Amino acid sequence: MNGIKQKDRDAVIQSLRAGVVPRAGQHLIQVGRARELESLIGDIERLADGGSTFRLVIGEYGSGKTFFLNLVRAVGMEKKLVTTSADLNPDRRLHATGGQARSLYAELTRNLSTRTKPDGGALAGIVEKFVAATLTEAKTAGEKPEAAIHRKLESLAEMVNGYDFAAVIAAYWNGFDEGNEQTKSDAIRWLRGEFTTKTDARSALGVRTIVDDATVYDQLKLLARFVRLAGFEGLLICLDEMVNLYKLANTQARNSNYEQLLRILNDSLQGTAEGLGFVLGGTPEFLMDTRRGLYSYPALQSRLAENTFAKQQGLVDFTGPVLRLASLSPEDFFVLLQKLRHVYALGEPSKYLLPDEALPAFMEHCHKRIGEAYFRTPRTTITAFINLMAVLEQNPNATWRELLGQVEVEKDTGAVKELMVEDNSSGGDDELASFKL
Amino acid sequence: MSSPASSSSGQASSSFHALDERIQRWIWQAGWTELKDAQERAIPIILEGTRDVIIAAATASGKTEAAFLPILTKLLRDEHPMPCALYVSPLKALINDQWGRLETLCESLEVQVTPWHGDISDTKKKRFLKHPRGCILITPESLEGLLMNRGQALKGIFDGLRFCVVDELHAFIDTERGKQMQSLLNRIDFALKRSVPRIGLSATLGEMRLAAEFLRPGAGDKVDIIESKEAGQELKVLVKGYLDLPPRLPDKEIQQQESQGLLVEKEDEVPQGVLAISEQLFKTLRGSNNLIFPNSRGKVELYSDLLRWQCEKLGVPNEFWPHHGSLSKDIREEAEAALKSKERPASAVCTTTLELGIDIGAVKSVAQIGPAPTVASLRQRLGRSGRRKGEPAILRSYNLEGEITPDTPLSDQLREGLVQTIAQIRLLAKGWYEPPRISGKHFSTLIQQLLSLVAQYGGATAAQAWSVLCESGVFPGVTKEEFAELLRGLGEKDVLMQDSTGLLLHGGLGEKLVNHYTFYAAFTSDEEFRIVSGGKTLGSVPVSRPLEVGSYVIFAGRRWQVMGFYPTEKLIEVVPAKGGKPPLFDGMVGKVHDRVRAEMRAVLSDTAPVSFLDKQAVELLAEARSTYARFNLDNESVIQFGNEARIFTWCGDWVNDTLALMLAKKDVKATNEGLCLVVFNAERDRLRDLLYDIANGKPPKPEDLARLIQNKAREKWDGLLTEELLCKSFASSELDVPGAIAAANLAACGIINPRVRGDEGLGR
Repeated sequence: MNGIKQKDRDAVIQSLRAGVVPRAGQHLIQVGRARELESLIGDIERLADGGSTFRLVIGEYGSGKTFFLNLVRAVGMEKKLVTTSADLNPDRRLHATGGQARSLYAELTRNLSTRTKPDGGALAGIVEKFVAATLTEAKTAGEKPEAAIHRKLESLAEMVNGYDFAAVIAAYWNGFDEGNEQTKSDAIRWLRGEFTTKTDARSALGVRTIVDDATVYDQLKLLARFVRLAGFEGLLICLDEMVNLYKLANTQARNSNYEQLLRILNDSLQGTAEGLGFVLGGTPEFLMDTRRGLYSYPALQSRLAENTFAKQQGLVDFTGPVLRLASLSPEDFFVLLQKLRHVYALGEPSKYLLPDEALPAFMEHCHKRIGEAYFRTPRTTITAFINLMAVLEQNPNATWRELLGQVEVEKDTGAVKELMVEDNSSGGDDELASFKL
Repeated sequence: MSSPASSSSGQASSSFHALDERIQRWIWQAGWTELKDAQERAIPIILEGTRDVIIAAATASGKTEAAFLPILTKLLRDEHPMPCALYVSPLKALINDQWGRLETLCESLEVQVTPWHGDISDTKKKRFLKHPRGCILITPESLEGLLMNRGQALKGIFDGLRFCVVDELHAFIDTERGKQMQSLLNRIDFALKRSVPRIGLSATLGEMRLAAEFLRPGAGDKVDIIESKEAGQELKVLVKGYLDLPPRLPDKEIQQQESQGLLVEKEDEVPQGVLAISEQLFKTLRGSNNLIFPNSRGKVELYSDLLRWQCEKLGVPNEFWPHHGSLSKDIREEAEAALKSKERPASAVCTTTLELGIDIGAVKSVAQIGPAPTVASLRQRLGRSGRRKGEPAILRSYNLEGEITPDTPLSDQLREGLVQTIAQIRLLAKGWYEPPRISGKHFSTLIQQLLSLVAQYGGATAAQAWSVLCESGVFPGVTKEEFAELLRGLGEKDVLMQDSTGLLLHGGLGEKLVNHYTFYAAFTSDEEFRIVSGGKTLGSVPVSRPLEVGSYVIFAGRRWQVMGFYPTEKLIEVVPAKGGKPPLFDGMVGKVHDRVRAEMRAVLSDTAPVSFLDKQAVELLAEARSTYARFNLDNESVIQFGNEARIFTWCGDWVNDTLALMLAKKDVKATNEGLCLVVFNAERDRLRDLLYDIANGKPPKPEDLARLIQNKAREKWDGLLTEELLCKSFASSELDVPGAIAAANLAACGIINPRVRGDEGLGR
């Protein structure tokens, strides 16, 4: 495991320290969850074969859903998939009438990533690749480039909203052909859902429709087909913070979103969405709550019900659409700490800031502070651990034993923190802070 | 901290020159020769852009311009790409008016003005949301909707918010809507993490400090108050008295005629007093737009029927429309349309529904039959008339009083209704009105705000909700323990639920409530209870007085004992009760404040003539004054009248109700009949002893007294409270234990209040 790049190390350490999931270098600190990952890799292979997948990754706050999703993304990119991800929030959801669904679509297209462009913004490159690939194909086959483009686009045009999608790609081709940068960028803008009025779209590209709230999913299906035409294996979409749908106050809005999810689920289970995969991250409540969770929607409940047979036997089944993220065990957590130490020292054991005996001592300390939850939802404990190492690094005279007693570990309160208020109210010790109905 | 009046012309010009040049030009073009007093003084303060201000002046004295000229100047000079100002008004009609006025000014300034309420099209609203700048004119309900539904985007929308203007500030004080608005402004401040300067536009009130504290809870002393000394609006008042004589034909005769198939003429079957009033109304009000307030739905029906009948009799088009909460929407809308249409004059016979909240344009005069519920509501009603410059506000008051016979109850002999009307008008003229009862807990509005907050942020923890809603001082009376109990109560009723991290979310019922369009309003339109005896509905009344099982009510000229109370069915079951003849004036309309009772006593003990009475009313008042003198009420507080004893506290209904409850705790059934407490089969001296015990015993807990009361739920969301909190809420706003003890002490000792003077600071 020698030779960790400084860039990867910094990305991992910085983001973990801030309590967020690193976007690169996840493999350096991956522990446990081997079978979950395995089944997802199976999904990715299915995608590459033109199949479709739908997975709900369910786990508590801080249990590593986002980490897992990012890892899956990274694997997907390695397997020549185009991937993208977005966090849902009240202004970004699957179904809406006030532009929130289009906003999700815009976010997804902005984050489109490929192996060569892993940090998003790959859309233009994908279209370019499509054109280039088609041109080479045409050259070898002795076909006119224009004819080749249109032949390939035909398969798009037959899909819902596909005609205009194809027209936009054709417009891009024209821009490419004539060296008209404006047309090219207009086409990309259209694909990214940035046109807000039909008149603008019409004058720029000659198409009659734009990507709006109602067509988001159809557009994603088209995009999936298109990336395959461009020579990629498929499109993997990771949606995180699905719990925001659960929190929608308006019953009707929530149900419409669930209905959209049902549509996606049906398409993927029946295999009609070619090369399109969804991995969604959410909390158990989002799934199980029968009043406002996915289970409140009967059609989804029956489709998402877990394998009761496996459950009764205390066994696991990783093939259903719901993937429960097993909690980390103390052993996993120990390995995680080891890896963190390793990454922090850039992979050189001689530079380890902590001796081996410090790791169990740290775990013991966390256990005393916040109880056994420390290894299940490791977000805050990891932050504390990195802080400890940072202090040791900069103060070579300090010894870890002295410092350990003072390490503050907070209980993970999940999304609550991210909400509105910096808690300036009269401290966390009063009745309301730990309020239970 | 009222600013000194400015008089020197030097200052005057400096205010003018401080305005934006384009606004100066507009002022020239509009042909103004000078800025008015309020404008002169408000401009420099508002231009500072950091201070809270209240501008108090009479109608048509340029309050709106006083606020908006400097606000627009600030907006024009602002460096923010989208500066905006928020204007909150209680009435849609006012918003439409203001919009018309501002539009002419703002068009030349290229400042966008967006009206925002239920009747405004979505296109306009969307345009504002896209470019949130300029002035937005909004009702509290629409603002609630904006916060709830655009909670996440709020910070972006109001990023350039520079001012919050509250129009008709006096109409908000001490109402559920007022609380709601305070909380909304506070939530905006909270979301923006800065305190947006607030500007209150108000009629002149006696106690401006209260308004200041209302505008900026917790920091009212820092609010600048600009009170315009310019001559206010002219007020014309006439109080007419009528004797309540029976119908021309006795009941028996009517039945007989009906059984013979004869048609009984209307003028024969309606009591003559009522008939006389309706004829007077018809004569004076026809041909202009007016509002007629007879105080209850039944009477609304009665008078509108009589007025319509008179129109038909003369063969002229009907100009009188009934309007109250239990009429169907069609009929109400017909009435509103008639009032709004400019082609034909129309008057509405209405209940509180038209006091505020529904827009009907300006009216010429207001007719009040019997006393108004409160001075504040009288002022509110009167505020609907004379809105245009140079027009006086006109109030006509009609009072029915019974003929005096030997068994006429004492309060009728004292002409309670008429005297109350006179007292109310005298207080109105002094600029006094019921001060807000700051001790009230307002749990109902708190529930609404809590649910709205949860919707706004997609969930909130208990601690966050507490810090946003309560810590800021909008709900000062609520303690942490009460808040926690409120939450638990809501959890039990499935209004709230909690996710695993402690985030509060709407439960099943909560969701239903929040997603219904009626959620945005913090208040309910007036609710009436049906009174049923032996399966027969006697009629319906708004019940503002506390009821306990076994207590007495007066309705339809009889005395009844309450047997059961069913809040969900809105039903009160009663049986006829024995006892002396009940007073004609049933006092069910509204609770009377201490100060009003004191003024009534002053009216009675006075001998000077009252200027605004007609001949009949003068006679009635003279009778009342002689009764007052005959019973030596200046010096006597417990009067034996046959076998009943009457306790005169000359305090408001809060005190009287509390005293009645305290007597009930001592197993003495006392009925609060308004002016006095009546105790049947009681002896004066024993009662005095009892009062002495009450005055010197351990004071009871207000909550325990409240437990005796059946109809505790009165505000919109009170039904969601636990019994415990409901008692607290009720006790905090409806009972006055120290006041009752003081009153008992005075009554027991027979020590007589020093000759009561109206000006004494009895206002609590």
